[in-house]
Amino acid sequence: MRIIVIGAGKVGYTLAEHLTQEEHDVTVIDKNDDVIERCSGSLDVICIKGNGANAKVLLEAGVEKANIVIASTESDESNMLACLIAKRLGAQYTIARIRDPEFNESQTLLQNELGIDVAINPERATALEISRLLRYPFAGSIESFARGLVEMVEFRAQEKDAIVGIPMKDLASKVPHLPRILYAMVERNNSVIIPDGNFAILPGDKVFVSGDMVTITEFFRFLGRYSQKIRSVMLLGGGRISYYLSRLIVPMGIHVTLFELDSQKARRLSELLPRVDVIYGDGTDQDLLQEQGLSQVDAFVSLSNRDEENLMTALYASRSGVQKTIAKNSRMAYMDVLNDLGLDSVISPQVITSSTILRYVRARENSNGTHIERLYRLIDGNAEAIEFVARKGDPYIGIPLKDLNTRKGSLVSVIVHQGKIIIPFGKDHIEEGDHVIIVSRNLGISDLNEVLYR
Amino acid sequence: MNRKLIVRVLGAILAIEGLAMIPSFLISLYFRDGDTAALGYSILITIAVGAAMYLIPKSDKKSYLRLKEGFIIVALGWILMSAFGAIPYMLSGMFTHFDSAFFESVSGFTTTGASVFEGFENYMHGVVFWRATTHWIGGMGVLVLTLALLPKLTGRTAHLVKAESPGPSLSKLVPKTGQTAKILYRIYILLTLLEFIALLFCGLSPYDAAVHAFATAGTGGFSNYGSSVAAFDSVPVDIVITVFMFMFGINFALYYKFLIGERFKAFWRDEEFRTYFFIAISFTLAITLFNLPYYESFFTSLRYSSFQLSSIISTTGFVTADYSRWPVASQFLIILAMFIGSCAGSTAGGIKVIRVKMLMKLSRRNVLAAGRPKKVDVIRIDKKAVDENIVSQVAQFAVMYIALVLIGGFLISLEGKYDIITNLTASLTCVSNVGPGFGSVGPVDNFVGYGVWGKSVLSLLMLFGRLELLPMFILFTRSAWHKY
Repeated sequence: MRIIVIGAGKVGYTLAEHLTQEEHDVTVIDKNDDVIERCSGSLDVICIKGNGANAKVLLEAGVEKANIVIASTESDESNMLACLIAKRLGAQYTIARIRDPEFNESQTLLQNELGIDVAINPERATALEISRLLRYPFAGSIESFARGLVEMVEFRAQEKDAIVGIPMKDLASKVPHLPRILYAMVERNNSVIIPDGNFAILPGDKVFVSGDMVTITEFFRFLGRYSQKIRSVMLLGGGRISYYLSRLIVPMGIHVTLFELDSQKARRLSELLPRVDVIYGDGTDQDLLQEQGLSQVDAFVSLSNRDEENLMTALYASRSGVQKTIAKNSRMAYMDVLNDLGLDSVISPQVITSSTILRYVRARENSNGTHIERLYRLIDGNAEAIEFVARKGDPYIGIPLKDLNTRKGSLVSVIVHQGKIIIPFGKDHIEEGDHVIIVSRNLGISDLNEVLYR
Repeated sequence: MNRKLIVRVLGAILAIEGLAMIPSFLISLYFRDGDTAALGYSILITIAVGAAMYLIPKSDKKSYLRLKEGFIIVALGWILMSAFGAIPYMLSGMFTHFDSAFFESVSGFTTTGASVFEGFENYMHGVVFWRATTHWIGGMGVLVLTLALLPKLTGRTAHLVKAESPGPSLSKLVPKTGQTAKILYRIYILLTLLEFIALLFCGLSPYDAAVHAFATAGTGGFSNYGSSVAAFDSVPVDIVITVFMFMFGINFALYYKFLIGERFKAFWRDEEFRTYFFIAISFTLAITLFNLPYYESFFTSLRYSSFQLSSIISTTGFVTADYSRWPVASQFLIILAMFIGSCAGSTAGGIKVIRVKMLMKLSRRNVLAAGRPKKVDVIRIDKKAVDENIVSQVAQFAVMYIALVLIGGFLISLEGKYDIITNLTASLTCVSNVGPGFGSVGPVDNFVGYGVWGKSVLSLLMLFGRLELLPMFILFTRSAWHKY
């Protein structure tokens, strides 16, 4: 598809990078010379210098033939204007990043009047993601498939886990009462393994399991990971993410303590969030944290503007015995290093925003003829989980999986048959209309027939 | 430095060069004049070495092509390709010394067309066809070809195309570099085919038409006749080649715009094209007038003057008239045209019209600034402000270019041969990838008089000129060979 990305900041750049990897024709528009230079040097895109809200610049970028225009500049107003103009000039679909909460209230009006098809609020999307992690504290990350029927959950295997060291094929016999879930993928030493019968999980591995939430919850309870529900959270930094997050989790009955360094901001937050304990002070100060009861809270989320501060404080909180720590980090290069440090839940707003936008792009592509229902990039883009719908007349339909060949490096992870989840074994088969979730080591699969054949 | 990645890309280039020898091999099979074995062995050697270099190094997938490595790949690639391109000349016995074969090969790939071959008619057809093929490959660029065929060769392919394509900045036609390369080659093939058909209609044999179409397309200038295009002595042939030489000097992006629906507006909207057109027309008219006493009629003068000017400004180097006997004012315009060359993004050499245009605007600004220093003045091309970085790069480029011509002229003079005019224009014609010069390397002479030293220096000068200086200069810096 022809896609125009306006504004190549953190989100725009990440987006453009992923979109080119998925073979789209991408044009990047940015006002800044240095940004343009960086993009044209490292991405396979056309770069145009200029204001994305300028019709002339948009026409130069070929807006009239664009399938999707994504406006992700720093300014909400520019993004809205760019989408409005792009739509009038003939762009099929527009996506805008709009972050100011003020605009949230009039969102539907804005979307209808300005021709913005999707409005993304990065901070809100990030807050939503964090709230999900707080709901399932045992997970490093959660992705959902088949309209939420199937979840894929990531966790880190520990020495004492009952499943460690046992080959997959012996798990059912050697570990009694183990809930039946699928071990979809394992990340070990920064490489991705699709487990087979002889594979054994080792301590320190990052394991991705999939199934429905009930079974997954049972599984973690079995491993002794599922402790009490999270009831109290500490938030470091009083930015927009903290605001949205508080709005989301306070109604869930979670007690929030929020640290903010700026007195004015702290006061304003206290006005906006009456049920939150807003603490005016430096949240990286260990004494202050202990004073406010760090060792007693169930979760600690660091959301300040400085990555290093977030990571160090999260590590400290984890050391002080906080069960669940989540750190915000916007530098992609750190991700590998963080894995080694043992920080499991590291989230980055630009990745969340760009993957939310990517989901819309794929949905558009879907209506344009490919058969991918949903696609997630996992483990920094080294693996992917793809949801397909089995179509009438495909050769694999009705044949037990054990009689089919499966492409190396990929695995049928879950079959959803009439709203029921099947963890596939050799005798199971796929029927027309079933949702099939495949995990693979980045093979660029675009059709189920590439994975399963006779 | 990522040596494995560099070796892999160089291997791909050689393998593609080997494949490009196959048509010449087939032609030698048809004519059977003694070069079949030489070409057959050359193909085997080139493909074997290329495939080994491509397959043996196990570079990991995430390998990251740095800008510096892009330059090094381009520079080494061109040297290596020229060396392997000389194998057919050696094996067939066309040359007995490698320095001559290498000179001829470099001259072919850089589309210079300066020859040390004392050609005679109906020489071995396969090898002569290979010589024309080198023009065609070198014209659009071998890395562009490699990326058109293997778009997934490395990440960050823009670095490679940037280092190889002529002009101050790279303009992609479509977002993907590989796709851009494919489009460029499609346009290139289309134009070459058009000229080939036009020449057939003028009565040339398919072989002659192909050799001259290839040499025009790359703006090279090798002919399979000792007296070049003058051998045909035909008005239609002159006209066809004049027009096509001019056309191959136009930025190929404009043809793309022409084809996707902008039609002729694509050309007239482009400031560089307008300037190129203006220079070509005004120089042609001036030379035609200056030459009036030398020719019997205005139209004869126009015929030879337009052909020669088109040949020189597009840096092709075909010859129908001995311009070194023309009035001195005409000769001077020819030398100017050698400096200017054609448009960026074409197959031609020279400083390039866009740079000359920017330099003129820069000079104007400097003059005006002397009287009104506080005035902020922006240099515009196509009504768009040009980044000051690019302006200063262009100015530096021009200085380096002229310095290179002078230093080159001095270095070949160390051999002690010829006179200042010969050596200076030999240096200029090689850096600008034109072909003929003045004096003893004039339009009816060739470069055979230079010794090993002279030929080596001139070979390097041609490579410097074709790659627009920087990739070659980087090879001579110490930091290029550092690992980090």
